[in-house]
Amino acid sequence: MTKTRGFLVLTVLILVLALIFTGCSGGDKAQQENGKVVIGSKNFNENIILSEILAQLIEAKTELTVERKQNLGGTMVCFNALKSGDLDMYPDYTGTGLVAVLKQPVNTDPQEVYDYVQKEYNDQFKIKWMLPFGFNNTYAVAVRQETAEEHTLKKVSDLTPLTGQMVFGAEQEFFNRPDGYDGMTKIYNMKFKEHKAFETALKYQAVAQKKIDVTDAFSTDGELITYNLKILEDDKKFFPPYFCTTIVRMDTLKKYPELEKTLNLLADQISNDEMQQLNYQVAEKKRDTKDVAGEFLKKKGLI
Amino acid sequence: MSAVFSIALEHLWLSVAGVFLACVIGVPMGIVILKIRVLAGPVMGVIDILQTIPSLAMLALVMFFFGLGNMSLITALFIYALLPVVRNTFIGLTGVKSELLEAGKGMGMTGWQLLWQVQLPIALPVILAGFRVAVVTSIGIATIGTLIGAGGLGEPIWRGIQLVNTPMILSGAVPAALLAIIADYSLGLLEKSVVSRGLQVKNTN
Amino acid sequence: MSPLLDLLLLRWPELLTATWQHIYISLGSVALGALLAVPLGIWLSTREHISRMVLGVVGTIQTIPSLAFFGFVLPILGIGILPAMSVLFLYSLLPILRNTYTGIREVDPALIEAGRGMGMNSRQLLFMVKLPVALPVIMAGIRISTVYIISWTTIAALIGAGGLGDLIWGGMNVYDIWLIVAGTIPAALLALLAGFTLGRLEKTVTPRGLKAGYTSGEGEFNI
Repeated sequence: MTKTRGFLVLTVLILVLALIFTGCSGGDKAQQENGKVVIGSKNFNENIILSEILAQLIEAKTELTVERKQNLGGTMVCFNALKSGDLDMYPDYTGTGLVAVLKQPVNTDPQEVYDYVQKEYNDQFKIKWMLPFGFNNTYAVAVRQETAEEHTLKKVSDLTPLTGQMVFGAEQEFFNRPDGYDGMTKIYNMKFKEHKAFETALKYQAVAQKKIDVTDAFSTDGELITYNLKILEDDKKFFPPYFCTTIVRMDTLKKYPELEKTLNLLADQISNDEMQQLNYQVAEKKRDTKDVAGEFLKKKGLI
Repeated sequence: MSAVFSIALEHLWLSVAGVFLACVIGVPMGIVILKIRVLAGPVMGVIDILQTIPSLAMLALVMFFFGLGNMSLITALFIYALLPVVRNTFIGLTGVKSELLEAGKGMGMTGWQLLWQVQLPIALPVILAGFRVAVVTSIGIATIGTLIGAGGLGEPIWRGIQLVNTPMILSGAVPAALLAIIADYSLGLLEKSVVSRGLQVKNTN
Repeated sequence: MSPLLDLLLLRWPELLTATWQHIYISLGSVALGALLAVPLGIWLSTREHISRMVLGVVGTIQTIPSLAFFGFVLPILGIGILPAMSVLFLYSLLPILRNTYTGIREVDPALIEAGRGMGMNSRQLLFMVKLPVALPVIMAGIRISTVYIISWTTIAALIGAGGLGDLIWGGMNVYDIWLIVAGTIPAALLALLAGFTLGRLEKTVTPRGLKAGYTSGEGEFNI
C-alpha cells in the first residue's frame, strides 16, 4: 500500500503536535490554580519596574508563584483584565482611577482622591488600593530645553500663544482620557498646529528628533534627564495628583491573606527621586528591569 | 542563552498550536466543501475576507473576547491559518487526475475509500504546503502577540523597541527570524518526502 | 452600531488622515518595490546562477517577522515614515521579483523563436514578446504584494509611522473596541479593493492571444 508512508508521517506529526500542545498549555485563568498570582503592568517603564518589584517581593515573602504579564497596554487594558480576573494586581495611580476610570472631575487634594477611589473601587469593582508607595507621578508638559530658552517658557500658559506653530505628541492614552489632550487644550486655550500619537517610550525620541515640539511627560520619567527636557509648571492646576500603589482584586486578597501585609511593606518606600532613579537605570543605563527591581528591594531591606 | 531558548520554544509552540487547531478543523472542512460543492464558494469567501483583517487588528479584536494572554493569540493564529489549510486541502483534492479516480473506481473503491486511499495521499504534499505557509506566517504574527500579553519572542523585541536597546531587540528578532527560516526549510523537506512514490518518479526529470 | 457612528461623527477628520497616510505608506512602498524588483527580475531571468542566490536572500527577508524587522531598523533610521517604508519596501520585493523572474522564464520558447525568426534583436524580443507575455504574472506579483503590505502597514504604527494602525493601536491601548473597528474596516476594505482592482488589471493586460489559457498566478503569501 503506497498510502502508508504519507500517513505515517502525518500521524507522527499530529502526535508530536498533540504532545507539545498538551504539555505546554497552562490555564490562562490563573487564579483557578492553587498558589499563583498574576501580576500585570501597563506599557511604560515605571509601571513595568513596579510590577517587577511586586513580583520579586511576593516571591521572596510568600509561598506563592508569580506569573508576570507585563507591558500590556494602557490603563483600560489592565483595568479590564483586572476586573475580569485575567490579572490579580497591577500598579496604578490615584489620579488615573479618579479621572480616567471613574470619570470624576479633577481634585487636587491627594488624600481626598485616595479615599474616593478606594471607596468607589471597593464598592463598584471589588478592587482594593494598597497603601501608596510614596511618589506622585503627575503628568507634566515638557519641551526641549532650547525651545524653553528661545521663548522663555516657564509655565504651561506661556505656551498658549505659541501653539499655532507647534506640534504636540503623546502616547495614545493621553488623547483618550479627560485629564489628557482635550482637557488640557481647553483649560489652557491651546490650538496646536498638529498632534500625533506615539508609543510611550518613543515620544521622547520624537521630541529629540524634532518630530514634535511639546509632549506630555510623566514627572518621574528617567528620559527627562537624558533628553534634556524642560518641564513647564502646571499653573492652572489641571492635572490631579497621581500617587501610585498596587491595586488588587479583593477575592485574591481573601484567598491569600498574607498578600496584603506583604504588599503594604512598600508603603512610603519610594520617593519621587528614587522612582526617577529607577526609571533612569532601566531607560537610559539599559539595565535589566529584574536586576534594578531586585537591587532596590535589597537596598530597602525588603528581601 | 537558555532563557532565549525557552522563550523561542514557547514561541514555537504558540505558533504551531494555532496552526494545529486550524488543521484539525480545516482539513475536514476542505473535505466537506469538496463533497458538498455549493459550500465551497461561500466558505472560501468568508475565510478570504477574514484574511484581509490586519494582524494587529485581529489580535486587538480577539483580545476583547478572550482576554489577555496566550489563548487569544492562538485564536488569532488559528483564524489566519484556516485559509492556507482549507484552500490547499481543497485544491489538492480537486487536483487529483481523473484517470486515477477512474482507476480507483474500476477497482471497486467506494467514495470514502477513494478519498482515503487515492485522493488524500496524492493531495498530501499540497496540504503540507499549506501547513508550511501557515506555520511560517504564524511565527511572524506571534511576535506581535506580546501586545496582548502573550509570551514568546515578541516580548524582548517590543521591550527593546521601547527602550531603544538594540541588543535586546536582536535577542528576540534573530531567533524569531531563524525559527521562521528553519521551519520553512524543514517543512519544505517534509513536503517533498511525502510525495507518493509513483508520482515522485514522474517528477524527477 | 451607534457608538461606532458617534465615533465616526466625532473623529472623521482623523480617520481620513489616517486612511490617506495608510494609502501613501503602503502604495508608496510597493511602488518603490516594483521599481526595483521588475528590472531586477528581468536582469536575473538570463542569469540562472545569481538568480538562485538573489531569490534566496529576498525569500529569507520575507520570513523575518515584521515586528523583528521594524526592531532592526529602528536604531538605524529612527522612528516615523522612513523606517516603516524601508521595511515595507523590502517586504514587497519577493512576490514581484519571483513573479517577474518566472513570468519571463516561462514564456513559451516557440514565441521567442518566432520573434527571432522575424529578425528581432534581444531588446526587441524583451519589450515586444517577453514582457507583454509575462505582464499578467508580474501584475499578479504586484497584487499579492500590495494586499499584504496594506495589512502590514498597520504594524508600522508601532514605530510612529501613522496610518490606520494608529487607530487600532490606540483602541487597543485605551480598550475601545469601536476605535479598533474604525481602523480595521478601512484597512480591510483597502486590501479588498486593491486586490480586486489589480486583479482586473491583470486580466486587461493579458495579451489577447493568450486570454483563453489565462490562469491567475496565485502566490503563497496570504497575510
